[in-house]
Amino acid sequence: MPQPDLPAHHILQQAAQWFATMLDEDVRQQDRDQWQAWLNAHPEHQRAWHYVEQVGQRFQQAQQQAGTTGARQIIHDTRSSRITRRTLLGSGLASVATWLIWSQTTLPGTARQLAHTLSADYRTATGEQRQLTLSDGGQLWLNTATAVDISYTDTIRHIKLRDGEILIETAKDALARPFVVTTLQGSLRALGTRFSVQQRDANTQISVYEGAVEINATTGQRLTLQAGEQTSFTASAIAKPHKAQHSRVAWQQGLIVADNISLQELVEELSRYRHGYLAVDASVANLKVMGTYPIDKPDHTLTMLENALPIRTRRVLPWWVTLEPDH
Amino acid sequence: METLYNENHGWLQNWLNRRVGCPALAADLAQDTFVRLLANPRPLNNLSAARSYLRTVAGRLCIDLWRRQSVEQAWLEVLAARPEALNISPEEHTIIVETFCEIDEMLHRLPEKIAKTFVLSQIDGLTYKQIAAQLNVSERTIKSYMAKAMLECMLIEARFHHSVS
Repeated sequence: MPQPDLPAHHILQQAAQWFATMLDEDVRQQDRDQWQAWLNAHPEHQRAWHYVEQVGQRFQQAQQQAGTTGARQIIHDTRSSRITRRTLLGSGLASVATWLIWSQTTLPGTARQLAHTLSADYRTATGEQRQLTLSDGGQLWLNTATAVDISYTDTIRHIKLRDGEILIETAKDALARPFVVTTLQGSLRALGTRFSVQQRDANTQISVYEGAVEINATTGQRLTLQAGEQTSFTASAIAKPHKAQHSRVAWQQGLIVADNISLQELVEELSRYRHGYLAVDASVANLKVMGTYPIDKPDHTLTMLENALPIRTRRVLPWWVTLEPDH
Repeated sequence: METLYNENHGWLQNWLNRRVGCPALAADLAQDTFVRLLANPRPLNNLSAARSYLRTVAGRLCIDLWRRQSVEQAWLEVLAARPEALNISPEEHTIIVETFCEIDEMLHRLPEKIAKTFVLSQIDGLTYKQIAAQLNVSERTIKSYMAKAMLECMLIEARFHHSVS
């Protein structure tokens, strides 16, 4: 490729060589002097050195903008997606594997720091939802008012559910690290899977949609929950599993699906997405409700309910709404 | 140019659509390909020469696009992994994506060990000794890797520099 403005190739080579020498931690004063002499010898040398500086700056920028871990991750992800594409086009797989292994292998000294940076708090506010892609390619959805800590280390993929509800689709891990979710009542080990976990006041609710999940309650009870099952557990007891309702994860699509549930249950569900206090008069609490309601418009949902059922909303205070019989 | 466009636009768009799997994107890329050709006209005497040239330009655009997308995706993930919310302007975002696209361009030509060496030095700030220990090669080898990597990067940097100015 002809590049008339570029210094001659051998000068660029010299500059690159000097760069490698000057960066060496064992560089001698004698080398420094020689480098300075080389630099002063010719304007073309200075021009070549200018490119060395620009490359250095480019990497420095990358490191400052994304942080060491972030920059490494971006560089690695971009390279491996490039390699994956090439692989799809018919070349070898070996290079992907080695690059991936490198990206996961850390120096003993930096391992702790890396684990620390990757361990971060994620939160959603009431009514907010969020989807995250985990570093292994797995997906994590945070429902309303949810807080999790994510910590990926050399030996484990760990999600700590502090509050709220998550839906997880695990990805196959190159390092075969176990995928574990812990709640206040115990831990769940995913066995290749899609499942949702909700931290409730007194227990943990879990539904498995694909694969299986092994439940370990804090005091030692164990149970493997299969796809299509749901249950709840406390620190000491795991309830008998029953059929999982797919409507339970409609929140991932921003919907609440009421499949013949009581108004009381729907309101409890709705309250999770809405600030303020929502109450149901006992005389209408057991009315059956069917339908699909948007999560992001809880007040619209209340109007829909008023139209569908013999109820009306009474706003005691702006943030306090009671559903009562309409007569 | 008009004949070239009329004869090849549909064909190119189909070809692109097979590669990117999205008609709207394929249409955009086909348009970009012709814009490139307009900006940089060259004699294309027959249909097969024209198509081979269009394929090359369009193929390069696809690769740029894929790279940009994977860089962008990776950057968004890094952002999402941060506990604190950052205010990043669209301009800053573009600059960051640009920076990493260029770095990818620099590194992807290098053999893997050399690329690793350069990243460990320039991003992680490791010394030659530390890199040598991690990659299980001599410090001398690391030093020669660094020189090779820098030379490749300089050539790419120069190309970017000239295409921008």
